[in-house]
Amino acid sequence: MSKRVLVVDDSVFMRDIIKDIFAAGGFSVVGEAGNGVEAVEKYKELKPDLVTMDLVMPYRNGIDATREILRGDARALVVMCSALGQETMVMEAIEAGAVDFIVKPPRAEDVLAVVKKVLGES
Amino acid sequence: MAAQWDTSRYLGLFVSEATEHLDALGKELVRLEGGVTPEAIDSLFRHSHSVKGMAGSMGYEATTALAHSLEDLLDRVRTDPARLDRAVADVVLQAVDALGGHVKAANAGKPFPDSAALIAQLKELTHSIRPGTEPQPSASTPANAPLVESEGPREPELPPRWLVTLRVASTSAQPGVRGFLAYKRLSSLGNLFRCTPGIDEVKAGKLPNGTFTVELESSEPEAVVSKTVSQVADVALVSLSRVASAPPVPSAEEPKPAEPEPRVVGQEPPRTVRVRTELLDEFLDLAGELMLATAGVREVGRTLEETDRGRLNETVDRLHGLVRGLHDKVMKARMTPVSVITDRLPRAARDIARRRGREIELVLSGSEVELDRAIVDELADPVLHLLRNAIDHGVEPPEERRMRGKPPRGTVKLSVKRASDRVLLEVEDDGRGMDVERLKALAVERGLLTAEAARELPEREALLLSTAPGLTTATSVTDISGRGVGMDAVKRAVEAVGGTLEITSRRGLGTTFRLSLPLTVAMVNLLLVGLGDDVYGLPIAKVAGVVETTRASLAHSRDVPVLQFGSAVVPARELSQVLEVPGRPHDVDAVSPFVVVDTDDGRVALAVDALLGQEEVVLKALRRPLDQVPGLAGVTVLGSGRAVFILDVARLERPVRAAAAGET
Repeated sequence: MSKRVLVVDDSVFMRDIIKDIFAAGGFSVVGEAGNGVEAVEKYKELKPDLVTMDLVMPYRNGIDATREILRGDARALVVMCSALGQETMVMEAIEAGAVDFIVKPPRAEDVLAVVKKVLGES
Repeated sequence: MAAQWDTSRYLGLFVSEATEHLDALGKELVRLEGGVTPEAIDSLFRHSHSVKGMAGSMGYEATTALAHSLEDLLDRVRTDPARLDRAVADVVLQAVDALGGHVKAANAGKPFPDSAALIAQLKELTHSIRPGTEPQPSASTPANAPLVESEGPREPELPPRWLVTLRVASTSAQPGVRGFLAYKRLSSLGNLFRCTPGIDEVKAGKLPNGTFTVELESSEPEAVVSKTVSQVADVALVSLSRVASAPPVPSAEEPKPAEPEPRVVGQEPPRTVRVRTELLDEFLDLAGELMLATAGVREVGRTLEETDRGRLNETVDRLHGLVRGLHDKVMKARMTPVSVITDRLPRAARDIARRRGREIELVLSGSEVELDRAIVDELADPVLHLLRNAIDHGVEPPEERRMRGKPPRGTVKLSVKRASDRVLLEVEDDGRGMDVERLKALAVERGLLTAEAARELPEREALLLSTAPGLTTATSVTDISGRGVGMDAVKRAVEAVGGTLEITSRRGLGTTFRLSLPLTVAMVNLLLVGLGDDVYGLPIAKVAGVVETTRASLAHSRDVPVLQFGSAVVPARELSQVLEVPGRPHDVDAVSPFVVVDTDDGRVALAVDALLGQEEVVLKALRRPLDQVPGLAGVTVLGSGRAVFILDVARLERPVRAAAAGET
């Protein structure tokens, strides 16, 4: 069974790109969220195998959302989506419990490599 | 970075989303000039960051570079919000505009404008702002203190210690973060000591040959340690070996205080989904067709025997109710807040005022009022034009205002109010007002009015002369120059959506433009009239009343037949002549209905052959070439399947007036 992914990003554009990458990589995107609040809710509802989480979002940023998700499920696998220049924030997210990160703009091979490693598939 | 997929699929989404971000950025920035908060700057940062990310994904390097410079500047400002002064705001706005240009170019498939100079300016500004209070690294950690506390319970016995050497791939985009991630992963296995180089260097990506070493105290087996490292992308395990002697476990370390509960800030956002606006148009079209089809079924029912009609009508009634409900919901989905237009105005006002050397305050109210999307779309340009006019030609320069005893800063108020089934949008300035006599004189000079008509013209109508095409383009008429430029377009746009325009003005005190708009364009209540074998629809909103009388009984004023209507006398015309269509020959002593309608410059009574009733219809826009025919506003199909032309009553005035003038 393909792994179930929740894609969190405030940009529909970015979500579409990430979703397409996952679809091409044989993953199943079971949900998306446009902000941190929605992300936490969707996580509880869908219990995905993996979450890709944008850092900078309205309402609640990716770091807070990651913390909250991990508080509810310590084994949650959250991969941050960051851009160059956001190293400090990514490290904060890692401190908060994110398992890995991908760099925007996302390149399919990088995303899939990171995700497969995180899921122990490679 | 080269995109590896076909980015053209994403272009539409890129353009719409990037534009939204840029609009929001500009708008929020202008709002910030009132007072700066860190949250607000965060928001600006977020917008520019999003645009950068999207542009990068599309492979637009120039756009990415520009957005990146903008983001850097905003990031720097974030550390010291007080630095967001006018100069910075100006450059940010320039960057926003330039990015907008890039987005447009991308959309049009044209080369991007060169933004090198702007990027240089952004960079220079970024460097000129000294970083504020960056978090200072704490005093160096003693080598034996665990850099990261183990999260698991501490082993009672001393676990083995490993020397772990890791290499971060040179191709890694963020080697510092990669290194830190590996470090963090290892820390989940036990306690870490002696990171070489220091963890701050690792975080900063300062790794000699891409490698670093750390000592791990962990009771996990070797395989688990190497597996943990292997799960970090871009990080390879160079070596893993046991360290002979383990120093004593640090004990005096205070446990870190628990992290404060993160609070949920703000309210839960409403759940929304994006829908292409064309889809909403199609929904409306289909819902409209359904209504027409339902009416058609009812029409067929009329041909049935009385006994069969009951049940059919019952079903048709129910169907009609459902379709009506569907139609209402679709209409509701199309409702868009006026803020879509007004949000951009503070920015525009600021630009115009600066360029024209005015000082103005724009006061917006009621932007949350909703209108049909089609109306909102149509209003964007007219409203901007009214604003430009108010600033450019209404509000005086500061010195002049001081001389007149006014505050140097002019006020332009844009208010939107819901009034029963209409929406009133007003643009009011406290500027010099319009010179009615000047307008009249000009109209006479241009041959639009006779001197006599001008004298008799009520002020309300005289002010509307400013909307006559090209009336006030003459540069010699300085105090009203430009008022007419584009004002005819404003009036036309307002009327095209079923609205009306009214102007009030007081010399020296200011001018108010009042737009009265329908909530929706799609439904219109018609008075159906018969003319020969044809049926025409007159929008009820424009019908003042109906008088049934004979042509013989009409009075004449200067050879123009006139009809007594209430206390007033209105010119009477044959609708067939106005429309230049053949009419039935009529007996001057036979009673005919005269429909009194409100045209732009006054009431006119139109003689028709018959009144056929009233009907609420779905208006369909005319397509070429019919949209070129003067006097027609649209077309609809009745339940009987008959097509009906809807008359553009507001614009009927011209032939009527012209003809009336000719008869004088």
